[in-house]
Amino acid sequence: MAVGPSSRRQPNEEASTALGLTLLIALAFVVFSWAAAGFSSPYNLYALTRTAALNVLLGLAMMVVIATGGLDLSIGAIGIASAMFAGYLMQDFRLHMMIAIVAALCFGGALGFCNGFVVVFARVHSFIVTLASMSIIFGAMIVLTKAESVRDLPPAFLALGKIRWFGYLSPMLMVSVAIGALIAIMLRWTDLGREILASGANSRAATLSGVRVGNRIITVHALSGILAAIAGIMLSIRNGAMVPSMAGNLGQEWLLPAFLAPVLGGTLLSGGRAWVVTTVLAAFLVTELTNGMLLMSIGEFWVQFALGSVLLLAVLLEKGRSTLMGTVEGV
Amino acid sequence: MRQEWLGLAVIAVLGFIIMASLRPAFLTPFNLFVLLSTFALAALIALGQMITLAVGQLNLSLGSIGGLVAVSFAGMMDVWHWSAAPSFVAGLALGALAGALNGILIAQFQLSAFIVTLATLAMFKGLNLALTKAQPFYDIDKIVSTFGNASLIGPIPAVLIPTVIATAVVAYILYRLPAGRQILAVGGNSSASELSGISIKRAIVTAHVMSGVLAGLAGMVAVARLQLGQPTIGEDWLISSFAAPVIGGVALTGGHVSIVGTLLAVVIVALITQGLVLFTIDPFYVQLVLGGLILLAVGLNSLRSLLPVGYSLP
Repeated sequence: MAVGPSSRRQPNEEASTALGLTLLIALAFVVFSWAAAGFSSPYNLYALTRTAALNVLLGLAMMVVIATGGLDLSIGAIGIASAMFAGYLMQDFRLHMMIAIVAALCFGGALGFCNGFVVVFARVHSFIVTLASMSIIFGAMIVLTKAESVRDLPPAFLALGKIRWFGYLSPMLMVSVAIGALIAIMLRWTDLGREILASGANSRAATLSGVRVGNRIITVHALSGILAAIAGIMLSIRNGAMVPSMAGNLGQEWLLPAFLAPVLGGTLLSGGRAWVVTTVLAAFLVTELTNGMLLMSIGEFWVQFALGSVLLLAVLLEKGRSTLMGTVEGV
Repeated sequence: MRQEWLGLAVIAVLGFIIMASLRPAFLTPFNLFVLLSTFALAALIALGQMITLAVGQLNLSLGSIGGLVAVSFAGMMDVWHWSAAPSFVAGLALGALAGALNGILIAQFQLSAFIVTLATLAMFKGLNLALTKAQPFYDIDKIVSTFGNASLIGPIPAVLIPTVIATAVVAYILYRLPAGRQILAVGGNSSASELSGISIKRAIVTAHVMSGVLAGLAGMVAVARLQLGQPTIGEDWLISSFAAPVIGGVALTGGHVSIVGTLLAVVIVALITQGLVLFTIDPFYVQLVLGGLILLAVGLNSLRSLLPVGYSLP
C-alpha cells in the first residue's frame, strides 16, 4: 500500500511517531501523577512496568505477523497453552525451571508454525486459520488440564515474580525491551527481516525477486507463537500460578492490547511496514493509560470502553495523516 | 452451485439418524425442544455474521452488540418497568444503531472492518458492564420469560418464530431487494459495482445495520431463554458465528452467500453439541470440534479450487 514514495520518508515518519508517543507518555505521566493518588509510588511503577512487559510482548507478537499482512488471533490461546505446558512440566515432571520455560517456548513456536503452515498450504487468510486454531488450541488445553490451575511450582520460579530493580522497575520489562531490540535489528539489518517486510509490502513482487514468501509467513507465525509463549510465562510468574482463564475465554482478552500497540505505533495493517520502537512505546502508553484510569477509580468497564475508543482514534488519525500526506504529495 | 448445500443436508440427516438410533433419549420431545431452541439462537448469530461476510467484511463485535442489547432489553423492563413490546423495539433500534456505527466508521473513513469492530467490541462490552456492574437484570416481563419456554406444537419452541421471520426477511432482502443485491455485488467486486453506479458506502452500512439488528435480536432471544439479562450473553458467539457460515459455504471474500447452507451448518453444529451431551463427553470438546470444522471447511474449499474444472469433491 504505502510502498514507493512513502518508504523513502519512512525514518522521519517513524521518528515523528516515536516523538509523539514519548510526549504523550510524558504528558500522561504528569497528569496521572497529579490526578491519581499513588500513581508515581514505587510500588505502582513496579506494577506498571510489569504489565508493560506483557503488553510489549503481545504487541510485538502481533506486529511481526501484521508485517507480512496477516494477523494472529490465537496468541492468547497459544500463550496460555504454552504456560500451562511449562506448569505441567514443573509440577508433574519436576523438571528444572529453565528446561520447562525453553520447552514452553518451543511448544508455542510449534503451535505458531502450524498456524503458518496451514495459512500457506491451505491458501486461506490467517484470520480464519487463527480463529479456528484459537478455538482448537484453547479447547484442547481446557480438555487436557480439566480447567484446573497449576499451583505447585518450584520456589525459584515464583521468586522471579518478586525481583525488583531500584524499587520500581520490573526486570521483565527489560526482557521485553531486549526482545524488541532483537526484533528491530532483525527487521532492519538482516535479510530475513527485509524478506518479511517485502512479503508484506507486495507478495508478488517479493516472490519474483526470489523471496520464499510462504516460508517467511511461516517464520513470523512461529515467532509470534514464541513471543506469545514468553508472554504466557510472564503472566504466570506475575500470578504465581498457571490459570487457564488468565486471558479470558479463548485468550480473547489479549487481542485488544495486542492490536493497540502496533496500530498506535503506526504499523500498517496491510503489511510491509513495522516499527518496533513505536510499538514498544505504544504498548507502554496503553499500559500507563489503563493503570492511571484504574487508579482514578474510573471503573474497569469504562477503561475497556476507553481502550476501544483509543484504538478507533488511532486508526482514524492514521487515516487522516495518510490522506493529508497524500494531498500534499499530489500538490 | 445450486446444490452446494446437498452434502451438508446429507450430513445433517445422517447425524440425526445416527443419534436417534444410538441414543433413544435423543428423540424425546424435551430433547428435541432443547435442540430446536439452541438452533433458533445459533441461526440468528450465524445470519448476523453471514451478512457482513456477504459484503466482504466481518463483524467481531457481533457478540458484544448482542450482549449490550440483551442487558438493555432486560434493563428497560427491570429498571424502567417498560413492557416487553417497547423494550423489544428499542432493543432492535439499539442493535441497528450499533451496527450503523460500525458501518459508518468503516465506509465513511475507509477503515479496516477488523480493527473497527475489534474497537467497538471493547466499547460495547465496556458499556454493557458499566450499565450492569456485571450483575444480571432479573425482573423481566412475564411475557418474555413465558415466550422463552413456550412450545408452539409438541417439541417446536416459540423462540423459533423470530428466527424463521428473520431468515425470511434476510432471504427476501438479499435475493429480491436492490439493497440486498447491492450488498452481494459490492462483496463480489467492489470496484465493478462502483462503476455500475452502486454506492459502496450504502451497501456496507446496510450490511452492518442488518448484522447489528440480527445480533440484537439474538441477544433478546437469549434473554428469553435464560429468563434474565445476563451480562455475559454474547461472550462465546465469536467462533460459532464464523463457523456456521464458513461450513455453510459462504465465501469469505464476499459476494456469495448460502442461507440454506448456513442454516444446515448450524444444525450440524447443534447436533454435535447435543451429541457430546448425550454421549456424556466433556462439553469442552465443542471448541475443538468447531475449530476443526472451520479448518476442514476452508481446507476443502481450497482443495476444490485446485481441482481441474469439471471435477468436484463430495
